[in-house]
Amino acid sequence: METRPLGDTGHESTVATFGAIALNWLEQAGANQMVEQVLDYGVNHFDVAPTYGDAELKLGPKLRQHREEIYLGCKTQEREYEGARRKLERSLDRLGIDHIDLYQIHGLEYEHELETITGEGGALEAFRDARDEGLIGDIGLTSHGNPQLILDAIDRIDDLSTVMFPLNPVVAGKDGDEYDYEAVLERAEEEGIGTLGIKAFAKGSWPPTDELPEDDRPYANWYEPVDRPDEIRERFDFAASQGLTTVVTPGDPKLVAMVLDAADRYEELSESEQRSLIEQARHDESPVPEQLHH
Amino acid sequence: MDIPKTVTTALEDRPVEDAVCLEAGAGAGNTTAGLLAGGAARVYAVTNDREHAHTTVDRLFADGDDSGSGRADDRRGRVAVLEADLRQIPLPDDSVDLITAHGLFNVLSPADLEAVAEELTRVAAPGCHLVVDDYEPLPDGAAVRKLFALENAAAELAAGRPALTFYPAAVLRRLFAGYGWEFDRRRTLLEPVPWTDKHLAAHAAVVREQTERLPDSSETGKILGERADQLADSIGSESVGEMYSVAMRLPT
Repeated sequence: METRPLGDTGHESTVATFGAIALNWLEQAGANQMVEQVLDYGVNHFDVAPTYGDAELKLGPKLRQHREEIYLGCKTQEREYEGARRKLERSLDRLGIDHIDLYQIHGLEYEHELETITGEGGALEAFRDARDEGLIGDIGLTSHGNPQLILDAIDRIDDLSTVMFPLNPVVAGKDGDEYDYEAVLERAEEEGIGTLGIKAFAKGSWPPTDELPEDDRPYANWYEPVDRPDEIRERFDFAASQGLTTVVTPGDPKLVAMVLDAADRYEELSESEQRSLIEQARHDESPVPEQLHH
Repeated sequence: MDIPKTVTTALEDRPVEDAVCLEAGAGAGNTTAGLLAGGAARVYAVTNDREHAHTTVDRLFADGDDSGSGRADDRRGRVAVLEADLRQIPLPDDSVDLITAHGLFNVLSPADLEAVAEELTRVAAPGCHLVVDDYEPLPDGAAVRKLFALENAAAELAAGRPALTFYPAAVLRRLFAGYGWEFDRRRTLLEPVPWTDKHLAAHAAVVREQTERLPDSSETGKILGERADQLADSIGSESVGEMYSVAMRLPT
């Protein structure tokens, strides 16, 4: 599978990153099989979080067995020093390892959170101390909702190595600052920051829960995904062609194999092909804002 | 309102800022919005379709629009939506710096080409830029061709002229060359062109509208209408063909 430099981290990430939230929906044996399958495809970048049910615990055994082959991202929603440190130690404990390659501020949504994180006694201090102790490697950030806030974070955190954000044709076709991830891509490129794309496979929002209860949804994603192999390939090729370092696989295990196949056969789309996909989705509702305000 | 990437791509290398512009064939106002966002001094959005004129006005002047095309008040001052025939444009000679025709020519029958080209040339100032964005003829195997063929058959029966004609870029380029326009560049806007289920349903609806103009007893009309709906359903959507952008310029 194609690899690309993850910004200036020195790591070459595969063009697909395994979103380990998928393991949450599997029994341990199935989780082990999925990790083996992901590794068979050559994927070398995994991403997990303590908020993904027991995905950390289920990833643990295979992660420890293949530790050298995997660049592992994890994250915390804690914004202050003590909480972030506690969550990091808990993740290390649950994963059964002593080093996380990329530790990320998880789900940044508001300016005041950025103030707290970067201020005295903020999470970033805990990240930096942990890096000095060798517990983590690179520092990253994930955000679902506000490209301008990511740009602010890039301005304020000079040792930021990666950013993770939504990118798909629906979002790319919309004007307005709240969808301007193109600006984030450009800025990240200038600053040598790696970029991870999420929600590449989002088709739209789920119907209201009184029409379709959460338990009856056919996929465990927060949004309704595209689910045909040709659509998955288009969406993968689109996201990877936009200039992201790597595209994160979706949360439902049923979709992961199709995405791995698409990543394995990735072909860069021409600009006119990318515009075709944007045009096709131009009248679709973006699933991103709805998801944000959960 | 969101400005389609096809519009921004077609305009990105044109001198829109401070230009007096003419959008020939204002469909839903997308290109007008693109011209305003690009800093046009004034945009005349011309259409002979009253519904399109209303749609353009409604969309451009909607409050809360943050597309970058400026505040609604500001846009009001820079745009005029004119309901007029493109063969008789209500603008003086040599008055326009930039003309756009985004998806216009495919709805012009061959008989109208000369008159429209002549009139666009009349209002163009020396040095005027012209951007023509349209579709290359579809390849033989395209399923949507069958639906467009029905649309043309219904229009020929009802009005004696086709509804759609996909002119190759080279043909329009030569047409305008005959009026003194010099070729500047050609680029691909979309390849493939996504004909979505909404597009196909709209084309099937046009077939119905045309057949409603035929006498009640017309069996052919009924068959065309039913077949159009069936085709739209069975095709669903198809991505095929190319949308191009040709830029030309009048000598100064």
